[in-house]
Amino acid sequence: MKNRLKVLRAERDWSQAELAGRLDVSRQAVNAIETGKHDPSLPLAFRIARLFDMRIEDIFDDGDPA
Amino acid sequence: MIWNSNEEKLGPGEERTRQRQRRQVLFIGLAGVIGGVIGGATGFFDQGDGNLFAGGWENLKLPPVLALVLAVMLIGAFVALPLWGFRMVDDYKREQNFIGFTGGCVSVLAGYPVWAVLYAGGFVPPPHAFGIFGIAYVSMILSFLYARWRL
Repeated sequence: MKNRLKVLRAERDWSQAELAGRLDVSRQAVNAIETGKHDPSLPLAFRIARLFDMRIEDIFDDGDPA
Repeated sequence: MIWNSNEEKLGPGEERTRQRQRRQVLFIGLAGVIGGVIGGATGFFDQGDGNLFAGGWENLKLPPVLALVLAVMLIGAFVALPLWGFRMVDDYKREQNFIGFTGGCVSVLAGYPVWAVLYAGGFVPPPHAFGIFGIAYVSMILSFLYARWRL
């Protein structure tokens, strides 16, 4: 699943470790999500959306046009 | 001090990440200490002629009280510690651990009957408990490493 996590993180000048700490996950998890290797759970997706004050679908794109 | 000046530069998220890493090191250290105590005590107090790795493990003999203590420690090391670890890690690392445990479990489910029929065919020695344990352990580690590489 594509996402804008890396862009949003860069806009705030946060390192992966900084974002990981704010989300209470490991830095490896942030890296895996950013590179599309791992899809976050729904609770984590909500935490990400709240942290960036956005909707989940504005951050993550499952490629479904509908 | 250099250490303190570096600490001051950390953001709140980075500080929490450091704490997570410190907990992880403590967890691994605790597991290592428990493993070392179990291995050391088993080797030091073994009164029999057997060897867990080289064969004759049915001849291993330990003082009963020590055997009970080690049994409790082994349950801690192989049951309590992993379950505690699962609660500490995030979804991503939990998924890697699940793949590792699944690999170990599946290898035993398939490994024992395969070993048994190969023994019946005269190809290998009869299945034994430590061999099954070894299959499970090695498979678990290989599955975990595969998950870390692919995920």
